[in-house]
Amino acid sequence: MSGLRVDLRQKSFGGVPVLGEVTFALAPGEIAALLGPSGCGKTTLLAMIAGLDSDYTGRIEPPGGPVAMVFQTPRLLPWRRLVDNIAIAAKVPVAEARALLEAVGLGASADMFPEKTSLGMQRRAALARALAIKPALVLMDEPLVSLDTANAELMRDLIRSQLARSGATALITTHDRVEALTLADRVLELDGVPAELVRDRTSPLGRDERQSPGSVAALHQRWFGSKDPGPDSKLTGGLK
Amino acid sequence: MDKALPASAWTLASLAGFTLFWAVIAAALASPVLPGPEAVFQAFLHEVRIGNYWYSMGVTLLRVIAAFTIAMAIGSAIGIALGRSAWAERAFGGWLSLFLNLPALVTIILCYVWFGLTEVAAITAVAVNKIPNVAVTMREGARMLSRDLGEMAGVYRLSWGESMRHVILPQLAPYFAVSARNGLALVWKIVLVVELLGRSNGVGFQLHTNFQLFDVAAILAYAIGFILIVQFIELGILGPWEAYTKRWRR
Repeated sequence: MSGLRVDLRQKSFGGVPVLGEVTFALAPGEIAALLGPSGCGKTTLLAMIAGLDSDYTGRIEPPGGPVAMVFQTPRLLPWRRLVDNIAIAAKVPVAEARALLEAVGLGASADMFPEKTSLGMQRRAALARALAIKPALVLMDEPLVSLDTANAELMRDLIRSQLARSGATALITTHDRVEALTLADRVLELDGVPAELVRDRTSPLGRDERQSPGSVAALHQRWFGSKDPGPDSKLTGGLK
Repeated sequence: MDKALPASAWTLASLAGFTLFWAVIAAALASPVLPGPEAVFQAFLHEVRIGNYWYSMGVTLLRVIAAFTIAMAIGSAIGIALGRSAWAERAFGGWLSLFLNLPALVTIILCYVWFGLTEVAAITAVAVNKIPNVAVTMREGARMLSRDLGEMAGVYRLSWGESMRHVILPQLAPYFAVSARNGLALVWKIVLVVELLGRSNGVGFQLHTNFQLFDVAAILAYAIGFILIVQFIELGILGPWEAYTKRWRR
């Protein structure tokens, strides 16, 4: 059984191809990062995998179980409290939703409306919502983007721990190499116009090793030829 | 200190000022064409004593509630359908423009001609007048529905009922509130015309009767009473409900 199988031939918008050949398969429980520059089509690919866009040529086979998505904008229902957002999406009792929020450090904010919380808190609530449906596959679209360093590191640690606990297969889009190396068992790189899968590399680092900044820095040097993670990286501190 | 207090105090002071202005003008004219506040109050007491006042108010209010409820339900359904379906908009959008520009008086006359001088005709006429306004507002609301939240509902497999309750209707609530407030203001005025033209009870009928008797004090007593009732519904029911629907905003 596959965690996810993607065999995309082409995806176009208005006759203009934005994605070319992208072929990969994820094993159940595998965590993969989809790395590529902003605007290269990562979110589009995620939407296709989530079933939100079926206008493409090729074949995408999600796993048999539920598919959850952590959107780049958290997309919580602004008129429902955080705890109700979880309960509604996962169809679980409020008490269970409250426990899920506690697991991402939001126990004290469970009764707040999303607009009265920070972006970091909304992202964590969105992560809790995704995992609440006990997904076979979790799709995360730039989960650390627009967060400050402290919140990015908190979110990264939560993603690691929560995914490890759930055992779900995960595909995480990012334009940040350090983020990819820190989170993923495998790094898939998109590039070109239209974007295609140009590299598919399995990390030699185990999940514990990836928590060591030194190991991540060394792998960054080996794969990308530089220890410098680039100015955009939220996790620059992790390499120093 | 409550910040709302000075505002309401200002409103009361302003209304008191208007009453004083009215009393001064009425005293200066000393004509039955413009009776003062005291004469209007006496007319009110007289209408209450002979049993006309609250009965007429009650009958008119029931017509307002019936026509308002029908107009809100049908107008909302039409508006949402037009806002959500390009096909429906193409097919029926023109109908909406047609009915929007149909004078209220024409609708009332046609309903009385087609259905007779009956209760059904009266309420239908009022509802038909209001439905296009509700539909237009709700159509705008339906067009503004968040695609992002729609996708979220799709990913998390929310059922049609769950989507309506948790995703769609809360987004439409502000538009519904605007429709309701505007609708109430419009409906009660049209109900009076409908009653004046073809009913034998209600405030509109009383206005018609008192017009024939040239009893301006009684006309003003009914008008002021109805304004107070509609203001109570607006401020006491619709206002707090609208505030409740917005409680989640930052």
